[in-house]
Amino acid sequence: MHIPDGFLSPQTYLPAYAIAAGGWTWAARGLKAQLDETTVPRLAVLTALAYALGIIMVPIPGGTSGHALGVAILALVFGLRTAFIAYSIVLALQSLLFGAGGITALAVNALAMGLIGAASAIIVYKLLARLNKTFAVAVASWVSVMLPGVVVALILGIQPLIAHHADGSPLFFPFGLSVTLPAVLIPHCFIGFGEAVLTVLVWRYARTRKWLPE
Amino acid sequence: MNDAKPNANFPACRQSFAARTWLLLYLAGIVTITFIHQPAILAIMLAGALLVSGKERWRHLRRTMLAILVFNLTISAGYIAVCLWQGAFSLNYLLLVNLRAILMAYLGFWFVGKVSILDAVAGWHTVSLLATLAIGQIKTFERILADFRAAFESRNLARPGWLARSRHAAAQAQTLLDKSFAASNEAAQAMRSRGVFDD
Repeated sequence: MHIPDGFLSPQTYLPAYAIAAGGWTWAARGLKAQLDETTVPRLAVLTALAYALGIIMVPIPGGTSGHALGVAILALVFGLRTAFIAYSIVLALQSLLFGAGGITALAVNALAMGLIGAASAIIVYKLLARLNKTFAVAVASWVSVMLPGVVVALILGIQPLIAHHADGSPLFFPFGLSVTLPAVLIPHCFIGFGEAVLTVLVWRYARTRKWLPE
Repeated sequence: MNDAKPNANFPACRQSFAARTWLLLYLAGIVTITFIHQPAILAIMLAGALLVSGKERWRHLRRTMLAILVFNLTISAGYIAVCLWQGAFSLNYLLLVNLRAILMAYLGFWFVGKVSILDAVAGWHTVSLLATLAIGQIKTFERILADFRAAFESRNLARPGWLARSRHAAAQAQTLLDKSFAASNEAAQAMRSRGVFDD
């Protein structure tokens, strides 16, 4: 669900950068203490996996892309702070190396997928883990795709309202919420199922290797 | 992964300073572009970028077009369809949004072709560490996948179909994770021996 460069107005991405900068500072604090010779290889593998999943994408008519995220597994193994900062770096690399997403859109993409996606995965997992852990991972992964989808659709959908010419023609993204919400959310509803299956498989792999926090 | 080649005749700190300067110029450039709403100016800027970006310009342009083509075609086609239905078509908008996306993506590929990302972020310790880990592991993934693909193709006389390739990918997934974890573990031990985790 990367938003590409050129479709977000400065009125959107500059405040998003201000918020994300605060988030990145918060996430970076204490990160170094978490990194050692045990956690670094796991983080490297799951970050590279998130990168690989993110570049296998299909365009969605509403103006974004559909792809698995891999942020839920990062969040479940490493927690919110590390997942947010690691996923932000994944997004920056995807943008610079593949042109997937964008640098002006990085903050919005990172806040949506890296922060809201990771936070929702952790919250849903904690709420449902008492019932069944595999089920909790699956639902958490699905939600970690859908909630960022809602945010991305809302941000894209308000662009014609906040950035347009005097005659009303758009300057950035052209479609309103009536287009972006269904266009982003309907495909991601199905992508979320794929993400859930994938996350459960990787989560089981991580569990057998005792990567998961107690 | 990164097109920029290290320059042996250039001291590392100056290389990093130069890379950071390019990074700041690139960032300033793409922010400026989002404040320009005249297609003619964007077209001139794109022509200028093509002119000064040297012999790699066509390769960067090709990568740019491949990266943005599908998205921009989808949005442009969607915009035309909505305008045919509701009216208020603007050719100016189509030119503006496509030229802006091409120029921004082109500058990104030009920047990455000219400068090492790791040099550019060398001043930010956490970003540099995570970017190094991610890029190193992505390279490992690419190498292992290429090995798996070559081994799989060498065992098939004809090109395998989608089903066979999917089954092969599923069967190799765990080995891929194990092998890449082992490679990453080696790197982490090397980092430990060099005191990266000692503070």
